[in-house]
Amino acid sequence: MANETMTETLRKAKAKRFDIAHFLIYVILIFGAIIAAVPFLWMVSASLMTLSEATGRAILPKVPQWANYIDAWKEANFSEYFVNSVIIAAITIAGQMVFSTLAAYAFAQMKFPGRDFLFTLILSTLMLPEAVTWVPNFITVTWLGRIGPIPWVNNWPALTVPFMASAFNIFLLRQFFMQIPRDLWDSAQIDGAGHLRYLVQIVLPISKAALMTVILFTFIGSWNSLAWPMLVTNSPEWRPISVGLSSFFDEAGAQVHLQMAGAVITIAPILLLYFTAQKQFTEGIATSGLKG
Amino acid sequence: MALSESAISAQRSLLRGQRIRKIRESLTAYLFLLPAITIIGVFGLFPLAFAFYVSLHHWRIVRGKYAGLANYVKAIDNLAYFAFFWVTILLIYLAVKKIIAMSKEAREVGGKLSIWALPGLITAVGLAWFVKFFFTFLPGVLEIGMKLRGVAERTPEVFRKFLKEAWLEPAVQASFRQSLLILAIGLITAYLVHRFVDDTNRGIGYYSAFISVFILLIAGLMLGWLTWTEIQAAYAKAMEEGKELAIWSQLVTISAGFLLLYLSWIVWQRAQKTESNFGFAIRFGAAAALILGGWILIAELPPIIISGDKDWWRGLQVTAYYSFFTVPFQLGLSMFLASLLFQNIKGKSFFRLIYFLPYITNPVAAAGIFRVLFSGKPNSPVNNIITALGGQPLKWLDDPTGLFQLLFPHANIPDWIAGPSLALVVIILYNIWTYVGYDTVIFLAGLGGIPKELYEAASIDGADRFAQFRHITVPLLSPTIYFLTLIAVIGTFKAFTHVWVLRSAAALGTTDTASVVIFLEFSRNTRYGYASSLAIILLGVVLILTLINNYVASKKVFYG
Repeated sequence: MANETMTETLRKAKAKRFDIAHFLIYVILIFGAIIAAVPFLWMVSASLMTLSEATGRAILPKVPQWANYIDAWKEANFSEYFVNSVIIAAITIAGQMVFSTLAAYAFAQMKFPGRDFLFTLILSTLMLPEAVTWVPNFITVTWLGRIGPIPWVNNWPALTVPFMASAFNIFLLRQFFMQIPRDLWDSAQIDGAGHLRYLVQIVLPISKAALMTVILFTFIGSWNSLAWPMLVTNSPEWRPISVGLSSFFDEAGAQVHLQMAGAVITIAPILLLYFTAQKQFTEGIATSGLKG
Repeated sequence: MALSESAISAQRSLLRGQRIRKIRESLTAYLFLLPAITIIGVFGLFPLAFAFYVSLHHWRIVRGKYAGLANYVKAIDNLAYFAFFWVTILLIYLAVKKIIAMSKEAREVGGKLSIWALPGLITAVGLAWFVKFFFTFLPGVLEIGMKLRGVAERTPEVFRKFLKEAWLEPAVQASFRQSLLILAIGLITAYLVHRFVDDTNRGIGYYSAFISVFILLIAGLMLGWLTWTEIQAAYAKAMEEGKELAIWSQLVTISAGFLLLYLSWIVWQRAQKTESNFGFAIRFGAAAALILGGWILIAELPPIIISGDKDWWRGLQVTAYYSFFTVPFQLGLSMFLASLLFQNIKGKSFFRLIYFLPYITNPVAAAGIFRVLFSGKPNSPVNNIITALGGQPLKWLDDPTGLFQLLFPHANIPDWIAGPSLALVVIILYNIWTYVGYDTVIFLAGLGGIPKELYEAASIDGADRFAQFRHITVPLLSPTIYFLTLIAVIGTFKAFTHVWVLRSAAALGTTDTASVVIFLEFSRNTRYGYASSLAIILLGVVLILTLINNYVASKKVFYG
């Protein structure tokens, strides 16, 4: 009897201590979440302010200035940059879907001499800092534009072709393709399918999750890149949105509210993607382990 | 009799069918790989060789004269000779190490190793000769672009004509034929050895191993030759101008300094294991060697750093500060958050969603927000908060003053150890803010892989929370910690986008990391050759850091 009450009180005390600990954990986690989110909230708020509010001490706009978005859109050519970035991302993704998928399939499912050597060679490009590639790739791209029928600099090829296959995506897809049971290929072979048909009709449909991850990462990489597009575009004609926003920050020096409207416009598509395909993001990153 | 004959022929045709199928599969695989390999080869692998080639020239938009190591010497002064000298030594060391490992293994299994040295050598020479051919052909090919600029109609025929002209250069033709000839001889000798002496699969392995060994040796010898001629040229030039030059003595003393540091460190580690007076004596000796080595380096390195490119040295210093002040905080914070998130709490996925937000968004826009929040104006949002709390507004992104100077205004700290400038501190904050969510997600995955039973067993044995963390979580998480440290350090060394957006003229270059300096030299000053040499140096630094990280990991990381 006495024993029982003792364990009871012990359990209660333990539960209580646990509650306080839990409460503290929540406080810290919520504080962290606020730190992570506040800059974004402030961005949205400032993008709706008047100039005097944005440079003053206001936290929220008195009257939301929706016209800021129209002003920023017009003043910084955002409509052009936006369309450019969408086109660039679309071409890059299309290239990745074909080239990286083919290469990943070959590495995962086929036997050929030099396979491991080639795979290591491709993976070694992940080590190379981007800065090393700027000068040589710029020279290459200029040269290709001069010898070919269309210019590469200031045009879509320079912005897309170098990114149409990447070690990261090949690695990610290969990991996924290798999990596909060998029996599937054997039975496809009995049905008379070759590698290409097997890849298109069987492998790709069951690899939708991996392909989605590739699409997402490629889109974000393309949408966010700054250095290379700055080097290979010198007019607004093909300038992507990151470069446009960066130069808008410099040009519209004091107009904080418009700058923040521009930032919202640039971030919006990515946030939209992130919230709709959140699972793909975190799982893709946690399983592959690396990005960028 | 007839039956067995037909059986044999059937078997033979089956074998032939298998072989044909194998070859067909290989061909299909290469076809599948062709586009990806082409793109990655041209824009991902070739740039390394090409950047090195460009860095050896005076190259401003168009290729100028051969410059040897002049670009490197301009960047880091005589340290360039030191670096190239030691890379040479390293390459030769790697080759020798590989030979020793191979012969040891061959002795154990009784393989015929030495017979493969000759074909390996000839093939390696052939490959090196092919590289030589490539870089003799390259200038002519590059010139086609310039030639075509003057042509009104850029038809494929004109291009082909120019290409043919470049191709038919006698030097190009000669080196091409020579390389093919040497390669052919190498392959034939390899075939003969395979056919008549050693037809095992191991033999093919020895052949390719010897090829890589000799390629390492050839590369080492070429680099050594380049360094040697450059040093001789520098001495000759100094003699002409009547100046004193001390490259060799500098090379010896700096090497001795580093060697002493390394030796003393090893002795120190050994001595830790012994508890006697003798161990104490050893430790004392190690400390003395350490001080001596450090003193030599301090006496020898600063003059070199001062005579190198100031912008570049500052870029490296900024990068080092940036990395050193970012990585520990970022990893500590994310490990803390991950261990909290790993508890039994509600809304886990919500927190993960929010923490991940800064990592996923557009860095130009996110850095733009920080640019406004931390702007140097007295009425910027962060300054408003500070003044509301009763503090003095700071100049944040416009402030080049070092952190230690700010914290101890009366201590009179010299500039070179002033710590990151306040402007760089904002960039460090940005970096931590961005990557904590990413690191947390990876840590969470790592924590999920630790078996629960270990904690239960430990708590039965009376281990408290901290002891559990120290003795279970940290060791079992060490592969993740190692991986994230590597990614974070390399990430800070490669950082460009947010640094570029947060750059302000008033910060006087105290936020210009190595990548930004390279970008400016390339795009603003159009010094292609010089920018390439800086990029190669940066690559070298990143590689050294990776090696150090690997070395530490091999001692400390616990892989189950």
